[in-house]
Amino acid sequence: MSSNRFDIEINGKACSAEKGETVFEVAAREGINIPTLCHDTRLEPAGACRVCLVEVEGQRRLEPGCAWKVSEGMKITTESERIERHRKVLYGLYLADHELDGEGLPVETGNGNQLRELAMKTEPLALNPVEAPRAGRPSDENPYIRFEPELCILCARCTRYCDEVEAVNAITLANRGSHTTIATAGMRGLLDTTCELCGGCIDTCPTGALVEKKSPDPLPADARKVRTTCNFCGVGCQLDLHVVGTNGTSRVAKVTSPPPGETVNDGNLCIKGRFAYDFIHHEDRITEPLIRGEDGELHPATWDEAIAAAAEGLGKVKEKYGADALGFVSSSRCTGEENYLMQKISRAVYGTNNIHQCSAT
Amino acid sequence: MTNSIDEIRDADLLFVTGSNTTEAHPIIAMEMKRAIQRGAKLIVSDPRKIWMADIADIFLQIRPGTDVWLLNAMANVIISEGLTDDEFIARSTVDFDKVKETVAKYTPEEAEKVTGAPAELIREAARLYATTKKAGIYYTLGITEHTHGTDNVYCLANLVLMTGHLGKRSAGMNPLRGQNNVQGANDAGASPVFYPGYQRVTDAEAQKKFEEAWGVKLSPNEGQNLNVMMKSVIKGTVRGLYVMGEDIVISEPNASKLEVGLNENCEFLVCQEIFHNVTTQFADVILPGACFAEKDGVFTNSDRRVQRVRKAVDPPGNAREDWKILIDFAKASGYPMPDYSSPAEIYDEMASLTPKVAGISHRRLEENVMGLQWPCPEPDHPGTPTLHVDGPLKGKADFQAVEYRPSAELPDDEYPLVLSTGRVLYHYNAATQTRREAGSVAKVGRNFIEMNRKDAKRLGFENGEMVDVVSRRGRVDAEVMISPRMRVGCVWMPMHFAESRANLITNDAGDPVTQTGEYKVCAVRIESRNGNGNRNPERQRRA
Repeated sequence: MSSNRFDIEINGKACSAEKGETVFEVAAREGINIPTLCHDTRLEPAGACRVCLVEVEGQRRLEPGCAWKVSEGMKITTESERIERHRKVLYGLYLADHELDGEGLPVETGNGNQLRELAMKTEPLALNPVEAPRAGRPSDENPYIRFEPELCILCARCTRYCDEVEAVNAITLANRGSHTTIATAGMRGLLDTTCELCGGCIDTCPTGALVEKKSPDPLPADARKVRTTCNFCGVGCQLDLHVVGTNGTSRVAKVTSPPPGETVNDGNLCIKGRFAYDFIHHEDRITEPLIRGEDGELHPATWDEAIAAAAEGLGKVKEKYGADALGFVSSSRCTGEENYLMQKISRAVYGTNNIHQCSAT
Repeated sequence: MTNSIDEIRDADLLFVTGSNTTEAHPIIAMEMKRAIQRGAKLIVSDPRKIWMADIADIFLQIRPGTDVWLLNAMANVIISEGLTDDEFIARSTVDFDKVKETVAKYTPEEAEKVTGAPAELIREAARLYATTKKAGIYYTLGITEHTHGTDNVYCLANLVLMTGHLGKRSAGMNPLRGQNNVQGANDAGASPVFYPGYQRVTDAEAQKKFEEAWGVKLSPNEGQNLNVMMKSVIKGTVRGLYVMGEDIVISEPNASKLEVGLNENCEFLVCQEIFHNVTTQFADVILPGACFAEKDGVFTNSDRRVQRVRKAVDPPGNAREDWKILIDFAKASGYPMPDYSSPAEIYDEMASLTPKVAGISHRRLEENVMGLQWPCPEPDHPGTPTLHVDGPLKGKADFQAVEYRPSAELPDDEYPLVLSTGRVLYHYNAATQTRREAGSVAKVGRNFIEMNRKDAKRLGFENGEMVDVVSRRGRVDAEVMISPRMRVGCVWMPMHFAESRANLITNDAGDPVTQTGEYKVCAVRIESRNGNGNRNPERQRRA
């Protein structure tokens, strides 16, 4: 009986592998980079983009590293003159119906463009442009997601993500040949489909063909990323907040997930985590301390006045009725440290254990 | 959760009950979908035919509030068919005999009469759960928001214990927590009965430890939890409140009584908030705080994972980080609160008093991108992904024999329909944040009442028609949404809309242990607003 663990060789290097693994998985573990456009670790391998083709000893054709399963003693080559030749032609074909910049490279987008990066490494074969009559959905009124057919390479990461991960099947490949496009049922706007506006399609798209409508595209060069934890439900998704502007005027202009495999959300977010950040800079935010006056109305006050009024008001209640006539409602939305301080205030400062938050409602 | 979120993808059976996971915990639902694509089986029990029910192997569409019958009947099948893990029961539990005796009369056939779920499906679900090793239970407020919520949880725990599905990867008992930091708030001692880290306020040793640390005498008496506190406001025994980041009026059941209490009895109300909400209308002082993007600290998620929150932008105008406000308030109240220079320092003080998180610090969290899961008692401890691996933490786990009690308010001639309330994917609780977001509003813009087509037809309501939903406690307006998800006789409404507040009509009858209100079951009738519908409650009774 053959063992489930065995050695294979990649570029002459012995690598330990397990039955069922793909060339990609073993290579990634060994730090060997195989380029790809259509692969996402959250999806079943599709072998669609042909960028990851490798030489497998004994195989006549080049094989896709993302889908090819390893077996004992297998010898793989990931860089060779033959592979380089293949890539030149392949990239040339992709570029022939892709939107190009002045230098003839795939255009940069707010979400990057991995085809551009590849084309900069391996000079693509120059081919005459072809017209791909790929339909978009210009009248789609959803507030978040725009499809740019000129940037699409039909790798189907978005449609497979929508099917395999989010499982709502709002978008699909439609039509045939050069008319193939990313479509919805009846080309309806996303708001009229099963789409839940998670934005995972934007996240997985390798060429920026899916664009986040509400953030600047591209972000300014000085935008910085701040890793934090989402403030909605209890899953604890990690977010990268993209901040533009300097102190005082800085704003969160975009939210993305850390890459798959790094954090608890594995690269995924929902509509709230990815898109519901407008509240941060909303004009309705309370920006001044307020004290209710004799007239029954709330009036702006200084911090010193407001804090003193709060302490005096609660102090009087304690004096009149005792500490247990006070209640402290802390917040499951605030930080752990703030909850610690709130219970310390309730217990050590005011002398009551009447401290809670929403966890029993 | 006794398991971790990333264990879900490796489960072989998911029992999802009282959790509309795709809407309330969408990223956990993605893990469940992944498990199911891998071949895991799925059992769903819920009064609504939720999204997960569509892909379930077994769907038990029970009547609202009949969970104890369903779960006891499953226990009955597991015991009578000899599917228990006797070795685990003997080694790690006590009082199994009491449960055995109690559930004997909860036969699947009788359960079918009460719950509406077919006896044969109950049997299949019980067998599937008991005989699959990597079987996890996932639940949320559909289990807890009842006058028998604690009983429901006991029944689930009984199933876990009698099958030994505990302390293993992908097998356990997993309440999915609703808020970003509801776990962390409890861990930090924002609890009427616990100091930080679940040390009881009635424990003299714990009291002494915190008295020494904080330099003051502390109360040995348990305090009031939020539900009791709100009832005390209504009664006038609590007369001053400091409310930070919570819209108590929109969130508590039977809200109109609370409004009267706040108006007439509450002599002083401090609100620390980022937006005006229903509660701030009653405030004497409003302190503008910071949202999550404007401050440093930690949140603890559903699988006990402590993760960093980092300041990205400044709070607007003169608003301030909440921890700074609290320090100043404590000082103004005459207490020598230390001048903590950062939340990291506050965390260190908490960790020094709290064995469960003693090994966690902001410095360690910088190095651990995935966060650290408590218990984490030492600075070199890796954290604990799965609880109870070496047997129940408390030594022996208690079985709890539970008898069915009907919900507090059942439908009658005057209020013939059962209302449950809940949440939708696109909004978050009181929705002060998400109702300011274009996509959320485009998907769900106003309050609705979901009902079965048969009920709508019988009552003469059209899809999209505006109606009043009326209970003994009040009325709210809503748009009729005809939906195949509903059982006949049951209606459902979200709780997000301040102008049409579901909690004006919900029942504040509380669970005897937690005092949690019965948000999932109350009796209502529906009245037309334009005269077309049928106002006669007689017609609303189930045919």
